[in-house]
Formats: sequence, structure tokens, C-alpha cells
Amino acid sequence: MNAQTTGRFAWKSHIGFIVTVVGLAALPFIMAVMEGLPVGSLLANDSSTAKFLQGLLVEVFILAVFAISYDLVLGVTGLLSFGHGMFFAFGSYLTGVLLKTFGWPLWAVLVGAVVAGLFNALLFAVVLPRVKGITFALVTLGIASVFDILIRTQELNPYTGSDVGLQGIPRPDFLNPVDDRLRFYYVTLAFAILVYLIYKRFVDSPTGRVCVATRENENRALTIGFNTFYFKLAALMVAGITASLAGMFNTLYKPLVSPEIAGLGFTVEGLLMLLIGGIGTLSGAMIGAAILRLMEYYLSRWFGESSAFILGAIYVLIVMFLPYGIVGTWRLRRLDIAAGRQRLLSMFTGRQRETPDEGKL
Amino acid sequence: MPNLLQTYRKNRTLIITLVILFLLLLLAIQGMSTRDWVVTVLRGLAVGSITFLVAAGLSIILGLMDVLNLAHGTLFMIGAYVGWSMYVRPDTVVDATTPFLLVLAGFLLMPLWMPLLGRLRLGRSATRVWPWIALLAGLALLALALTRYPLSIWSGTEYQNSPIVWNQYFEAGTVQENVTPATFDTIIAAVVDWGSLLAGSVLVGLAVAGFAIARRGPTAQAARSVARPLMWFALVAAVAIGLYVVNTPLSDFLLSLSSNALFVLALIVAALVGAGLGGLMESTMIRPLYDRGIYQILLTLGLGFIGVEMVRSIWGRTGFTMPKPALFSSTGDGCPAESISGWLQHQCSTIIVDIGGEPARIRTYNELFVIAVGIVVLIAVWLLLQRTRLGMIIRAGVQDSRMVEALGINVRRVFTLVFALGVGLAAFGGVIAAPATGLSDTMGATLLLSSLIALAIGGLTSFPGAAAGAVIVGLTQQFIIRYGQLGINLPFLAEPWKPSPPLVPASVILLMIIILLVLPQGLFGRSE
Repeated sequence: MNAQTTGRFAWKSHIGFIVTVVGLAALPFIMAVMEGLPVGSLLANDSSTAKFLQGLLVEVFILAVFAISYDLVLGVTGLLSFGHGMFFAFGSYLTGVLLKTFGWPLWAVLVGAVVAGLFNALLFAVVLPRVKGITFALVTLGIASVFDILIRTQELNPYTGSDVGLQGIPRPDFLNPVDDRLRFYYVTLAFAILVYLIYKRFVDSPTGRVCVATRENENRALTIGFNTFYFKLAALMVAGITASLAGMFNTLYKPLVSPEIAGLGFTVEGLLMLLIGGIGTLSGAMIGAAILRLMEYYLSRWFGESSAFILGAIYVLIVMFLPYGIVGTWRLRRLDIAAGRQRLLSMFTGRQRETPDEGKL
Repeated sequence: MPNLLQTYRKNRTLIITLVILFLLLLLAIQGMSTRDWVVTVLRGLAVGSITFLVAAGLSIILGLMDVLNLAHGTLFMIGAYVGWSMYVRPDTVVDATTPFLLVLAGFLLMPLWMPLLGRLRLGRSATRVWPWIALLAGLALLALALTRYPLSIWSGTEYQNSPIVWNQYFEAGTVQENVTPATFDTIIAAVVDWGSLLAGSVLVGLAVAGFAIARRGPTAQAARSVARPLMWFALVAAVAIGLYVVNTPLSDFLLSLSSNALFVLALIVAALVGAGLGGLMESTMIRPLYDRGIYQILLTLGLGFIGVEMVRSIWGRTGFTMPKPALFSSTGDGCPAESISGWLQHQCSTIIVDIGGEPARIRTYNELFVIAVGIVVLIAVWLLLQRTRLGMIIRAGVQDSRMVEALGINVRRVFTLVFALGVGLAAFGGVIAAPATGLSDTMGATLLLSSLIALAIGGLTSFPGAAAGAVIVGLTQQFIIRYGQLGINLPFLAEPWKPSPPLVPASVILLMIIILLVLPQGLFGRSE
């Protein structure tokens, strides 16, 4: 916002974002140096802890994109969808089937994933004008369950591998996480950053503002003269495409598809990411995804099977005591903190300074 | 006459939908022999009545307090598992009651803490820090004391001691011989353990009061009554220790009971445990979230997942069956019976009845008892809603709960009560379902999905809608399953198409989506 008012790029208000991007871009090299490896071995793709952590971060980026797309639907537009996992799973399965059974090239798969995302969004949009609130949640849950059931059926076994999932998907040469993980790392990082910037722009655009208005009070938005259906549809489409692309990267990285991602459990995981970061904050969703994935990894390493229980407990505690998540709480308290600093400063300088500008929530 | 026409005009879509559903049922019946469809309808009604037991509570809770309790399926499952434990291993339940009651006794002292702590004057940071220390210490003490408490329990991982093996003992009637009573080695160890259980729960209670003070500041309220919490504390603690003293004779007595009596006991215990859990959930977790709509759904979703993990850690990941009570299990002399009196005389598991010239095998538990229970509960809840004062408050609350509160009725207490009732009903349903469908860690999720569908079809907050939706879901499922065995003659296909069993839930979901697209409020829901 400062950038628009002053006409100059406001470094200060973007400092967190820039530091994160630069830090993540440099991270593989820092890891290698800390491990005492020459940078050359990193480029030569030797297996090491650094390479393993790159892999973990790739998963984080993919999940972050999934989480931010869920945030656009649930947090920004306020559509209570319990079927968002299907967007991701559809992209995953489609990529797997197209690569394995039909042998499509990568660019065609990319187009396919985008089309699949649009298709999914339209599927949800069919019921959108008719049902609202809890009923919409039930219908989306139902549609996602139908998809879950379909991919597990014997009838589709040759394509989806029913309960076992898809395995042995051929890796395309350009994006091969085994032979050249560093490239995969940078591609997914760039993808995540791009999605974040697009989403930021989308939410700040007039269309995005109407989406927020729909969440806050749909009747009022209708009264003003916006046909909220189109705005909800736009949000669903954007989210559908990104989630589908995230699913595609998931398949390319693993390279297998397990039917678990189509179940309700995966959607709940997405919810947990949103809750950790803060619903409706965009950046919170990505941070939440990072925290959740890393936490899951370390919890399962330390506690084994009971890690799911601990995660559930954390989920409940966050819902009860930290409802705005990390980023949301920070944004709420930021003014308090800034005001406290101002008070402290004014005690020393002895004069009142102007109050800090209102933060956007 | 004009009145009738008006009703028709108002509900045209509803009537047309119902007629189409009825025609579909007729069409489905047309393709089967008389025996087949009678048995299928019975099975559908049985599934419907179990779905109804869960859906009824869900619908009333949703209507009264706008909470979609997504943990309901898990609570249904917990009911089933608790019921199994009471049924097959009553001694374990007796063992576990003592520590549970002791912890409860510690929490019963909570009303004393607020006024007592209010007098304490501490520094600001001390006020903030000590509750955390008390909480951690209390939880650590509880965890230590609970893990060291001797329980004679099955094992979730070890086959030799798994629920499956205990089921075999149960069917052979040798549970009593295989049970090893669990007691403390010395009386000192027992006293230490009991003491730490009490101390742990008291510390946690203190911590909760401390958090409240740190947030709101000390309140200068005087203790309303010191005697009452102390009396309850003494009573519950005495019962707990008394149970420990009579543990062995009580366990022996329970183990020597017939399986019919044990089954009734299991139903009661599961319903009580469910009601207790429901009341606890509402009063501690959901109540603070009443003004934060969506978070209640997220909370119950999380609680559901925690519940599944808990069940997995206590009863193991592999599913098992629950033996049927003696009244429904005999296959010996005079069985299968040919009439109801023959069944009662020989306690058969199946009845063979002549329908349409063919002998039909009907299982007495799965296809008669379950339906009967469903009908009894339907009538009981209906009477509760229509004929009692509580029912009146509930119905009024569904219409407008703030108005009811304005009239001077303690709606919060009614909320807790209704939540407890709803969850108790689901847990009761779990025990009813367990002998018919078996126990597994997915039973909750499956049933939650079908009861949500039933609710959506019937109209979210309508009680008759929940019943109708449950029956529609059950019938649809069973007819599709039956046709999966018979095969459907579709045009353009040479062979009859046989839908595979996993497609059954999908068909019900599709039915729901279609009905919701035609009637967004469901069949009997109110339009807003």
C-alpha cells in the first residue's frame, strides 16, 4: 500500500518477504557449507543431508501452495468447503495417469492439470448458487468422497491402482527430483513465490475485495449490486488451478500417488495448516504449511505412532486458544506492540509522535 | 379443498420428489422376487435405524445450538468400543473406574479454588507463570500415576492378548478363567498412586482457575458453598476406593452374568460414558466457541481425529467382532426357528419364514432387533420432544434460542443436557451396531458420513427429517448392494452391470447431491 501512495517501492514493508525469498534461495548452499561440503558436490547432486532437506523443503513448498489455495476459498471468500483435498488429489492423479498410462509430455500434462483445476471448480460451482453454509460443506464433502470412492474402485484399477495408488510413474527428464534435485527445488520455490504474489495481487484487486466482502456479509455485497456468485466462482477457479498444479508437482516429486490424499484426512491437514498460520492471511497459510510439515516429520521421528495424537491435540489447542493463528495474532497485536514502543520512545524524547498507520488485516 | 390445493402448490417440489423416490423404490422392488425385496427392505431399515440413532442427536444439536458435531461418528465408535469392553471384559471396566473416579473427585473441588485464589495477592508475572507450572506438574503426576495403575487389560498389539482372543474366550465361556486380577502389590503403593491421582487433578484444577484469574483478574466472589463441593468430593472418592476394595468379588459377579444381562449393562455403561463425554465436551470446549461459528466445526473435526487415535491406541488398529448376546446367537436345537415364539424358545440366530413361496432367512439380531430398537428410540425421542417440558424448551430453542433465554430459561444448561443426550444416544447406537457390523477404527467415519447425508436429505434441523433421511439412506444402500449381487440389466450392455461394493456409498452421496439441488433445504427442512 505504501508503494502506491509514495510512488516508490517501499522496501521496509516488504522486508520480511524479501528476506524469506533470498534465504530460501540461498538455503541449499548454506546447508552444504554447514555440512562442510564443497558447493560443487551440491551442483553435482551428491546424496547428503543437504539433499534430503532440499526434498523436505520441496514438500513444504508444494503443501504451502495447497494451503494458500485453500485459504483463498475458506479464509478469503468464506466458502466452507470440505472437499478442497479433491482439487489437489485430482491434479495428482491426473498427472500420474497422463504420464504413466498415456505417456504425455510434460507441457501437455501442465495444460491438463490447469484444465482439471477449472473442471473441479466448475463442479463445485454447480451447487454454489443453491446451497450455503453447512449444506455447502456437506455437498463438497460429498463430492470429494465420491471422488475418493471412485479412485479406489476396482473398475478403475488399471488407471488409478485402487487402494495401492499409482506407482512407478515415469519421471520427465527436465524435472527429475532424483537426478537434479536442486533444479526441482528452485522450480518449486519459484512456483510457490509466484503463486503467493499472484494471490496477493488477486486479494488486493477489486475482484478480491468483493470476495472479502462476500465473506463478511454476503447480503450486503448483493445489495450493493455485486453478483457474488461470479466472485465466488473466480476464487474457486483460481484456487482450483493452483491446487491442481500443486498436485501435479506432488506427483512429479514423489513420484507416486497414494489414495490417502483424496480422503478427508488430507483436507483436515490443510485446515490445520490454515489454523496454525491464521485463516484468511495468505502468508499464514504458507507458514502454517511449513510448520506443519516439519512438525509432522520430527514428531513422527520422535514419537512414532502417537504423533497423530499429538498433532490432533495441537490442532484442538490452536482452535481454542490461538484462533487467529500465528500471522493473524501477530497482525492483531502488531499495533499494540508498536504503540508500546511509541510510549517507551516518548518517555525518552518527551514528545508525542504520530500513531502508526493502520495495519491491514 | 382450496386448502389442500394451497398445500400442494406450496410444497410442489417436495411432493414431486417424494413421489419420484417412491416410484424408484417400486422400480427397485419390481426387479426382485418377493423374498428378496422383503429381506432387502428389512436390511435397509436396520441400517437406517442405526444411522438414525446417530443422526437424531446430530440433528437436535445442530438445530438447538448451531453446532455441526463432526465428532459424532467418533463418539458413536467410542460407545461401541466401551460397550464391547463392558460386555467381554467387565473386570477391566471395574478396574478402570477407580482411577477415573479419583480424577473426577479432584476436579469436583474446582468451585473452591476461584474464591480462595482471589484472595492471594501475587506479582503480575507470578500470577501468569504459576498456573503453567501447576498445569505441567499436574499433568505429569496424572500421566505417571495413570501409567502405573494396575489394569488387567487386553493388548492392542499383541495377538495372544488381543480383543480377538478375548472374543474367543467369551464365546467359549472361559473369560473368567483367563482373567488375572490386577491389584497393587502393597497398600502403600496403592495409597501413593491414589494420592498422586488426586493431587494431579487438583493441580490441574488449580491451574485452570489460575488461568482464569490471570486473564480476568481476581474476582472478589465469596464461595457459594464450601460444604457442597467437599461433600461431593468425599462421596466420589469413597465410591472409588470402595470399588477398589470390592474389585474382585464385583468382577467375578459381573463375569458370571449371562451375556444378555451383560449386553444390557454394556448399553447402559456406553450410553452413560457417551453422555458424560458429550457433557464434558460441550461445557469445556464448545461453550467458549459459541460466538465463533466456523471454529466449532473445526474443533469437533479435530476432536474426532483425536478420538480415533485414542481408540487405536487402546483397542488396537485391527478390527474385531462383538459376539451376539445369547438371545440371538444359538444355532443348535430347534434352530433356525420358524416363528417368533420358536426363536424365543430356542434363542436362535435366524428365523426362516416363508415369503412368496420361498424360504427367507432372517437374522434375529441384525434384521429384527436393530429395527425394533430404532423404532423404540424414535418413539421415545418423539415423546421427549413433544410431551415433556425439556422437549418444549428444545423445540422452542430450535426456533429461536435467544428468545427462550430472554424468557428466563437457563438455555446453557439445556445445551449441555441436549449435547449429552445426543452423544449418549450415538454411543448407545454404537453398542447396538457392534454385534451386527463389528468394530473397526473406520466405523465412526463411515457412519458419520451416512448420517450427515441423512440429515442433508431430511433437512438439517428437522427431527422427522433425520428419521426419513436415515431410512432413505439405509434402503438405498441395501438395494444397491443387492443389485450389486444380482446385476442390473442396463441398455447397451451385453452383461448385467454389477456395481462393486465400494460404489454403494457413492450412490447415496449422489442421491444427496441431487436432492439438495432440487430442494436446498432438504425434504423437511425449514426455508430461511
